[in-house]
Amino acid sequence: MGVMIALIRKELLLLCRDPHGLLLLFVMPAIFVLIMTFALQNQYAMNKEVTLDFLLFSEDDSGLSRAFERELATMAPLQRLPTQSDWEEMQALAQADKVKFLVRVKPGFDQLLVDREPAVEILFSPGTSPVFASVGQARVTELLNRLYLRYRLATMPGVQSSLEAQSSDLVQTRSLYDDSGAMPSSVQQNVPAWLLFAMFFIAIPLSTTLINERQQGTLLRLQSMGIGPVKLLAGKVIPFFIVNLLQVAVLFLIGLYMIPLLGGDQLTLGENPEGLILVAVAVSLAAVSYALLVAQIASTIEQATIVSGVLNIIMAALGGVMVPRFLMPDAMREIGSYSPMSWGLDGFFDILLRNGTVVDVLPEVGALLGFAALMLSLAIWCYRRAAPERG
Amino acid sequence: MIAISQLEFSYTPSASPVLKGIDLDVPDNALFGLLGPNGAGKTTLLSLLAGLIPCPQQCVFINGKDLSTPAGRAASRVSLVPQEYAFYQPLTVRENLAFFAGVQGVPAKKIKQRIQDAVAQTGLKERLDSRAGKLSGGLKRRLNLAIGLLDQPRLLLLDEPTVGIDPHSRHFILETIRHLGATGTTVIYTSHYMEEVEELCDRVAIMDHGRILRSGALVKLLAEAPQTGHRRKSSLESLFLDLTTRDLRD
Repeated sequence: MGVMIALIRKELLLLCRDPHGLLLLFVMPAIFVLIMTFALQNQYAMNKEVTLDFLLFSEDDSGLSRAFERELATMAPLQRLPTQSDWEEMQALAQADKVKFLVRVKPGFDQLLVDREPAVEILFSPGTSPVFASVGQARVTELLNRLYLRYRLATMPGVQSSLEAQSSDLVQTRSLYDDSGAMPSSVQQNVPAWLLFAMFFIAIPLSTTLINERQQGTLLRLQSMGIGPVKLLAGKVIPFFIVNLLQVAVLFLIGLYMIPLLGGDQLTLGENPEGLILVAVAVSLAAVSYALLVAQIASTIEQATIVSGVLNIIMAALGGVMVPRFLMPDAMREIGSYSPMSWGLDGFFDILLRNGTVVDVLPEVGALLGFAALMLSLAIWCYRRAAPERG
Repeated sequence: MIAISQLEFSYTPSASPVLKGIDLDVPDNALFGLLGPNGAGKTTLLSLLAGLIPCPQQCVFINGKDLSTPAGRAASRVSLVPQEYAFYQPLTVRENLAFFAGVQGVPAKKIKQRIQDAVAQTGLKERLDSRAGKLSGGLKRRLNLAIGLLDQPRLLLLDEPTVGIDPHSRHFILETIRHLGATGTTVIYTSHYMEEVEELCDRVAIMDHGRILRSGALVKLLAEAPQTGHRRKSSLESLFLDLTTRDLRD
């Protein structure tokens, strides 16, 4: 027991004396969580005040085109900005991404509408996301259809127009995320995503200490003192497991308290936070085992840093850390499903987004533990294979 | 103390042997010099004695304990001081000593005393709270040695303990080793500095290509050495070169 305490204490002391390691494990993910949570806030927040600002230029003065102008300005989430600019100036503003899009009402609007010809032109700014562009286009199309029907009904004797209601009033929407109808916010995606990224980054400090021990003869010295492979491995796994759990605590606390203080949404832990602990433990074991294998494969610190850094970024990109997997095409989503980070992320989402229980996370936990067992077995095999062979 | 008879060793069954028919006796309290060119098999022999490699046959005994058994290895109380600075540079001298005492199973209440004894023997008392990485080369060598003394070994294996240090530090380390020998520790000392071995050791073995070429009391070996140099003086170096041939090895 005393031996294990000495090994764990030494490892934690070494990490405390390594400012780069601390930056990598705690500061980098905290910064990523803060930046990405606020940067992607609008991408997730359907229940938030998202506005699509636009400029309108009309070349028609009929009653129907004035009705179009008037009603378009009231359609959420569109927001018409007042301007005195001419069409050329408006295009310059759109080109500079000052608005999401431009709407030009063509001359002869009424006739074009009746003839089902394009009565309106929409020009999207270069920086407008495809999602926002399709929302804008759908709202304009919806209004044009409504005006067309209203016009047609009005010309039919004895028929009362009843199309004043907004189309959106005809549909009730509800999120399965929670009873209040709220949708998951970006903090629910970004905290677990960057937490996973950071947990797997322990490969760098862990492999650095192990390679240093190998190169500086301390590993040899420890072996000569009778410290066997099981104790040596446990002496790495336990302290870095503790570090992983500290990362979980720090990043969840940031989501719970710091992001709301800065004006963002608060992270909610779901109804079964014990499931989060289970996923975190499985992710940690997977990350530590993977780190041990990297340390065994790499012969220099530079190799370990490059190998683990590149592999982490690939696993994160595929696993939905950097780009949410729901935005990926099916093929990429399929490839991403083989990344251990996607298993971890799905496990966290089971609890944080889907209000799942411990039973719901068992498949992901099982996959992560299987990955951990495979990595650990390979690491032990490499360790034994590299037993001292010196003349 | 150490009794080796007909030791054969190869790293894999198919590989050619690294040690061939080694016979060696090292008496208690000896300061024993183990010499050989690079690749002679010194490190493998030290690794076997330190328990890093399991002995394949019942042919290596330390104080009567058979090193081919785990119990024998555990009871032999051997301490290896590697050639490298085998400690943690970011930790202080005290933290390093406490850690290595802890992993060797020194009871918590005795660790402080063991640290004090080790730093007193190696002159590191004033440096206990210095970071190991900030020490000079000589102090690092002394810390390397101090760690080897924590478990109060009966057999100390020193692998080139004076490489790359100034004459004062070298003198201090040699005096420390001499003192250890005088107070009951058996020392096996490997070095490429022949004059150091001549000055320090009372017994010497010269090995090459996995075999012991000569072994015995230093005076006896010096008597066999050819006379070389303009003063026609016999030395351990001349015997070493004579036995191992003068060809370059690296």
